[in-house]
Amino acid sequence: MNPAVSRGGRRSLWIFFALLVVFLYAPILILIVFSFNDRTFVSFPWQGFTFRWYREFVHNSALLGALRTSALVATLTSVVTVVLAIPASILLVRRRFFAKGAVSGLLLAPLVIPLVVFGIALLILFNTVGIPLSPLTVAIGHIVIALPFAILTMVPRLERISVSLEEASRDLGAGPLRTFRSITLPLLAPAVLSAFLIVFTISFDEVVVASFIAGDQPTFPLYLFSQLRLPQRLPQVIAVAVVVMTVSSIVVIASEVGRRLADRRLERVANLQQEVSAG
Amino acid sequence: MSDPTTRATDAAISLQEVRKSFGRVVAVGGISLDIADGEFLTLLGPSGCGKTTTMRMIAGFEEPDEGRILLRGRDVVGVPPNKRDVNMCFQHYALFPHMSVQENVEYGLKLRKVPREERRRRVAEMLEVVRLEGFEKRKPAQLSGGQQQRVALARALVNRPTALLLDEPLGALDVKLRKQMQLELKRIQHELGTTFVYVTHDQEEALSMSDRIAVVNQGLIEQVGRPRDVYERPATPFVADFVGVLNALEVRADEVRDGRVVVRISDRERLVVPTGDRPVSAGTELLVAVRPERVWLRAPADETSADSRLEGTVRQVVYLGTLTQFYVDTTLGARLVVHELSDRRASGFVAEDRVVLTWDAEDAAILRVE
Repeated sequence: MNPAVSRGGRRSLWIFFALLVVFLYAPILILIVFSFNDRTFVSFPWQGFTFRWYREFVHNSALLGALRTSALVATLTSVVTVVLAIPASILLVRRRFFAKGAVSGLLLAPLVIPLVVFGIALLILFNTVGIPLSPLTVAIGHIVIALPFAILTMVPRLERISVSLEEASRDLGAGPLRTFRSITLPLLAPAVLSAFLIVFTISFDEVVVASFIAGDQPTFPLYLFSQLRLPQRLPQVIAVAVVVMTVSSIVVIASEVGRRLADRRLERVANLQQEVSAG
Repeated sequence: MSDPTTRATDAAISLQEVRKSFGRVVAVGGISLDIADGEFLTLLGPSGCGKTTTMRMIAGFEEPDEGRILLRGRDVVGVPPNKRDVNMCFQHYALFPHMSVQENVEYGLKLRKVPREERRRRVAEMLEVVRLEGFEKRKPAQLSGGQQQRVALARALVNRPTALLLDEPLGALDVKLRKQMQLELKRIQHELGTTFVYVTHDQEEALSMSDRIAVVNQGLIEQVGRPRDVYERPATPFVADFVGVLNALEVRADEVRDGRVVVRISDRERLVVPTGDRPVSAGTELLVAVRPERVWLRAPADETSADSRLEGTVRQVVYLGTLTQFYVDTTLGARLVVHELSDRRASGFVAEDRVVLTWDAEDAAILRVE
């Protein structure tokens, strides 16, 4: 009998699932709890509810500066990465060309290069060429890291957009650019949004490469690391982490819901066509 | 409709020795064809025969390696699809899923910068022609297959193209809807007078709708002609086989007299076939074909005045509703298919019955001379 269907099996699966959820989310839950604990040391016992740490971080200019730097880097990274990934994906999906396999391998290689190695390499490169380290150099590093993720997000979606839609547009009198703007891009939009958010998130919490090439303006995760040496700052850091987490969860959930709605729309068309051809 | 005297001379579409290969595979091996203004021409052939490639070359999605393609006398080789005055109906309609019916249909007009008012009017007119008034605001996903098909038609025809290219447009519909759309297509074509170039592998579709059929095989046109000619006087064994059922007999001519070939098989069996314009003399090996519905089944004792007479044994009887199909092994060895209307005059033969097959000379044709 299928263990997923038998009664005992189903109960074990549920227990397994519950344990997995606890394992994944208990640390985050603890974090949220402690962000409201009125005690400098991050440990039990509970000493009363407070918003103190939230108030304090709002006035911590170094922390806010790091947040701003990260927001800037992540925005720059995600915009540039997505703009690069769109034509790259179209090339990979729609065109046949010489050494396509090699090109796609090169585009996706950063996925498997250890970040430490890549950070050192970038540091040496920037030093040699004479580019001063700044949030801009961090963004350059992050673009390289994030590009494969953006491409891998868009390629499957692009593969599901039928070439005949683009041909129909050409046939009706639209040039290649107009076709891209009126047909391909609107249909690709959900994947573009997903890619944008994924890249933003990757950049926002990337610490390894940033630690080599950030210069004297730390990004948010770098700042968090530096604060671990000062125990009295820890509750503040936790409070910021909770805020960042909450905001990013809301954004990700909202975009996922949006993407599914759009996907369903495409699927309905596809299903209808299948039904029709099956009948 | 244009003046009939000019119709014969200037073709809407003219293909001249068009060739196209993909790598080593020859898709189109030299096709020449003139399609008249207002004509319904069907490219009929099995999948992979080059009919779709031919159509895509007319549309501009593929460029020929050699040859010329003229649209109203203008050579369009090298002109991108958006600059060609033909529109295409795609196999799976290719409606833009993020646009409403209205937006889909007016897409081409917008690109041609047709003013808003005229655009509205023409879209409304065209939706009326395809009988979809009131569907303007729907999205393609909210339409049935048949309705999507009509939107695709309207979207192409609203631009008043020189020709409409249809790539197996009914392939995705069920049988009933397909028959209905065949009539609709014919009506719309008649109403608008647009040249239709229709690609299909379905011989029935081709026969029922076309003014002319071009039968395509392995990248070449085997025969062009009116449906009746193609069906009744197939020029090659391939055409005979693909359009209808191939009933072929390999025989040797015994005598040629008055434009007819006579083959004597036994003292009671003989075949008579018109020579057509083939070079035949006594002793020539021939491939002779006869259509299944032109053959009469009789009992061996029956008297007959028919030109051709051949004996055989019924091997299988298949009831098809309107028709009953008999598979008969003849004394020549070849198996012939005979169609008989399943009406009150049905012969009622069953398997293993001895029968005589008869037909008139004009109902048979020579497919090949060895």
